[in-house]
Amino acid sequence: MSKKITTLFVLLLIASLALTACGSKDNNAAVVEDVPEVVVDPVKVCQVTDVGGIDDKSFNATAWKGVEDAEAAFDVEGSFLESQQQTDYATNINAFIEEECDLIITVGFLLGDATAAAAEANPDQKFAIIDVNYLAFDNLMGLDFAIDQAGFLAGYVAAANTVTGVVGTFGGINIPPVTAFMDGYAYGVAYFNEENGTAVEVLGWNPETQEGLFTGNFESADDGRAMGETLMDEGADVIMPVAGPVGLGTAAAIQERGGAWIVGVDNDWTLSNPEYADIVLTSVLKNMDAGVFDTTEEVVNGTFAGGLWVGTLANGGVGIAGDFDVQFLIDGIIAGDIATKP
Amino acid sequence: MTTTLRKKIDYVSPSRQRWMGGIQMALALGIWAIFSRSLETGTFTTFVMTPGGSEFELPNWIFSTLPTLNTFAMIAFAFGAYQFIKGFGKRTNLILSIVVGLFVFSFLSWATAEKSINLAGLLKGTMVRAVPIALGAFAAMINERAGIVNIAIEGKMLAGALVSVLIGSLTNLWIGLIAAIIVGGLLAWVHGILSIKYKTDQIISSTVILIFATGLTSFVSARFLQKYQHLNSSGIFHSFPIPILSEIPFFGPILFDHNIFVYAMYFFLFFLYFALFQTRWGLRLRSVGEHPKAADTLGIDVNKTRYMAVILSGMMGGFAGAYFTLGSVGRFDEVMTAGRGFIGLAAMIFGNWSPFGSFGAGLLFGFADSLASKLAILGVNISSEFLLMTPYIATMIVLAGVVGRGQMPAASGQPYEKE
Repeated sequence: MSKKITTLFVLLLIASLALTACGSKDNNAAVVEDVPEVVVDPVKVCQVTDVGGIDDKSFNATAWKGVEDAEAAFDVEGSFLESQQQTDYATNINAFIEEECDLIITVGFLLGDATAAAAEANPDQKFAIIDVNYLAFDNLMGLDFAIDQAGFLAGYVAAANTVTGVVGTFGGINIPPVTAFMDGYAYGVAYFNEENGTAVEVLGWNPETQEGLFTGNFESADDGRAMGETLMDEGADVIMPVAGPVGLGTAAAIQERGGAWIVGVDNDWTLSNPEYADIVLTSVLKNMDAGVFDTTEEVVNGTFAGGLWVGTLANGGVGIAGDFDVQFLIDGIIAGDIATKP
Repeated sequence: MTTTLRKKIDYVSPSRQRWMGGIQMALALGIWAIFSRSLETGTFTTFVMTPGGSEFELPNWIFSTLPTLNTFAMIAFAFGAYQFIKGFGKRTNLILSIVVGLFVFSFLSWATAEKSINLAGLLKGTMVRAVPIALGAFAAMINERAGIVNIAIEGKMLAGALVSVLIGSLTNLWIGLIAAIIVGGLLAWVHGILSIKYKTDQIISSTVILIFATGLTSFVSARFLQKYQHLNSSGIFHSFPIPILSEIPFFGPILFDHNIFVYAMYFFLFFLYFALFQTRWGLRLRSVGEHPKAADTLGIDVNKTRYMAVILSGMMGGFAGAYFTLGSVGRFDEVMTAGRGFIGLAAMIFGNWSPFGSFGAGLLFGFADSLASKLAILGVNISSEFLLMTPYIATMIVLAGVVGRGQMPAASGQPYEKE
């Protein structure tokens, strides 16, 4: 009898562990792609993903698109390794160092420490890291995004389209990469009010106190729905959720009740979530592919020097989706005449 | 048998009476010192009395903030003083809840001074937020009343959420809902085999099921649902107002304009209360959880009863999981239940293993959750991290302070070995 239990338990446990491990897609071993046996001419660009995986439809996928664009434009060969958990970061980076990649791109704030360690230990290896602006090595390019500039445009468009005179936003967790969106949004609304003598109100974020409405997670779409409903109850008819998939709950609430718009974040939601295309007003774009492409180009041309690349409206690193007459704002922001954050 | 064991004691000790009185007077002083004194005369609070999206409009409720708060402070202080000196006896908890209610209402009025907030939307949101918690608590309760501990409610919810969206996308919503219930039952059946037949430690076996369900749903989600979006868009059950009842002013739209999951919560609340405490079936189920040996002596098949309870509980868990997808957002994302199953478990314990208690705890959590969002929107100067904690803190304080120690079923967690 007890043998049976043990067997059953062991089976269940192994199954659980195995399945949890595969939770974030492809297995480690199978993933080095397109690396030829004999290394020849093409520039090798190697991407280490965060745990979301290469086809997460947002972060990692957008960065990978930059590599693919570079492959189309130059003599570049891309490959990637997916991190299943945080302990894989260093392993994957080292694997690519041994592969003699010309450029290793690590995707995400969380890979900061592992990338810094590798960059310090391998001064001849070129690195690029997304969403990190605090590392300074000669062989490392930080790719940062002035997302508040794009959020500003979205806020301006939101203010121009609201009927109730109230627009809303909420975030996942109160951290700078999230609140940068909200800062820009609130500033955009304020600028619209100043220009047009209106009094459009922003619910859910106060750029002065840096406090606002948050779900406290990036997972519970049900929370996103509740936030959407409560913001609509208070009269908001344009809502920007900065919380990854949680925002899709807000979209569901808006679609059910009607009479409101949603502002997508990171990528164009009319493309990534076509079922909500009719309620998407615009999307705040964080074009990580542009940063990856530019860095790859530098490597190809031999001009790579490390430092910091900031995605802005000027270089197309950030922007908004849709056809809006905001060129005068873009010019103003690029010229530095319009402030987009406190 | 068990009803006499569980009889409520009405006696309130003198020290508890004093404490309660003191707390109530402190709350009254709080209303005055914190809220009233920071207000100017002539400020008005506006409460919108129609939830968004409702057809039955009520005029807004506008009142002068300062006199209202002062009146509340005086009423609360009078209650507190009477409680301190003479005591309300068995009505102590009722009076305490009234005073706490006055305090919360004053807080909200104060935060809304010179502004407006949708009070009806807040209460309607409370009902919706309570659904997964109350259903989760009901699931855990059926289990524990029969003497089986189950901390895998979250896992069954996740499995139910995933399967309902998958089957719902391929067929229709109702078949998706049924599939969720079946999958919850199947997972529970495994738990039953482990804990009843093989008498493993029930906490361990339910942990295994929880980890298994989390891993499996994340795997299926990443491999299939996120790649093939047509498998991950089931649509949702839309809300439909109940005729006549939903036309009751103010309360109608709050209580009776929802989707089927809210109505199911009402139904199961009364149904479980009746089934567990008024029927022979319920008596047998509870006797197995309190004293299985005695039940066995009387000819009740302990293990069979437990299997039944475990599977019914799993079905309820799967149904609760379907709320997250079919009742809310129409799609599945990894670990989207975000701990609601565990909150449900806590609601059951705080609710003293009873349907109404669990429902109350769920409502309390839902209210604190909705209130925190409203306060964040109002721009009350409290850090958002703290606001996110309020539901948990409020639930702990109120339930630990008012409900006190619960009585769990005596044989909960113990496998039954027939001699």
